[in-house]
Amino acid sequence: MNEHDVMYQVRESFSGLRMDTPVEQVWARSRARRRRRLTGMTAATAATAGAAAVITLAAGGPAPAPSGHSPSASPGSASPGSASPGSASPGSASPGSASPGSVRLAAFTVTNGPGDSTTLILRKDAPIDPGELRQALAQHGVPALVTVGSFCRTTPLAPVPFGQVVQPTTLADGSDAIVINGQAMPSGAELSIAVFPQTVRMVLIEKGAPLSCFSTPGQPGQPAIHITGTPTQG
Amino acid sequence: MGHEQDEFADFYRASRDSCLRAVTAVVGDRGRAEEQVAEAFARAWTSWGKVRRHPAPRAWVVRTALNLGVSWWRRRSREVPLAEHDAAAVAGPGDAVDPALIAALRRLPARQREVLALRIFLDLDTETTAKVIGIAPGTVMAHLSRAVAALRRDLPIANQDTNATEVTR
Repeated sequence: MNEHDVMYQVRESFSGLRMDTPVEQVWARSRARRRRRLTGMTAATAATAGAAAVITLAAGGPAPAPSGHSPSASPGSASPGSASPGSASPGSASPGSASPGSVRLAAFTVTNGPGDSTTLILRKDAPIDPGELRQALAQHGVPALVTVGSFCRTTPLAPVPFGQVVQPTTLADGSDAIVINGQAMPSGAELSIAVFPQTVRMVLIEKGAPLSCFSTPGQPGQPAIHITGTPTQG
Repeated sequence: MGHEQDEFADFYRASRDSCLRAVTAVVGDRGRAEEQVAEAFARAWTSWGKVRRHPAPRAWVVRTALNLGVSWWRRRSREVPLAEHDAAAVAGPGDAVDPALIAALRRLPARQREVLALRIFLDLDTETTAKVIGIAPGTVMAHLSRAVAALRRDLPIANQDTNATEVTR
């Protein structure tokens, strides 16, 4: 069997493989990508403003409150369409752990926008206080269960396409920016956010239902399943 | 815009299967390949003014899909809703590729797989393959030759007599 035959055999073996995604979904994905990039830019601006507000220089005066939920983004610091003044909720990273002279950046920031959505930015490698994050999200109308080092879900899951509620993206600095459409969340549902050292996992759960919690982001052998919302973007 | 949209739609319909096959051959995972190819086409549409003038637009899509890489896929798949209907969307009838072939392809070095995929599924010649990947034409030929030799050795189908056809009645 020569080179040509081998290549022909390989080609034939893949001939049954067809891509079913309609072009409309590709266009929708492209539009969503543009929106995410815009969100990333505006959210990054808001995050910078929020983070700047909780920088703690021990050498100079009292540190801000660890929860940092007071209005902090200065008017005019966010670009048009981003967080409205006073809407940013920066969360502290390991309150009280900053050594004298160190700089402490927000572990997370919750801001309004784009539109009616809420943007959550999780800084990479910054320890998160789950209570603070839950409280900050609640202030923005997003009910959430936040866990660190464990992942909790309910059975059955909240009956709504996940992608209509949550749109994640990664900013240039590696932070996760998650746009949450709280209005798309069905009543009685909340967002379960599990923070692990290397990953953040989210799922919609039914509030009050019995929880199953796992100490790992995923179970071994579990197939990777993409976001339901992908086909419904746009 | 309407003309461009029609043009892109034609390109997409004509190219999506071959791009999916090429990327699946390289990454060895049909679900991941479909996600990456869809994302690459979305980026192609975003930059259609540039991509449509590319000497090999399908190769642009495949390269973009492959460049997304495993880190993109992990980020993409880590927000897992665990809904059963999602799992069903990953594979469908007629998608099965001989696991032995997938295994044999995965044993090849990534560059060899890429050369093989571009040559087989996109019908690129050596020169174009070299340009797309950014290596010398001679290197393309060497990769292809080694890849085919390995497949010929590993693959049961490659050792069958292609002139013999069994018909079950």
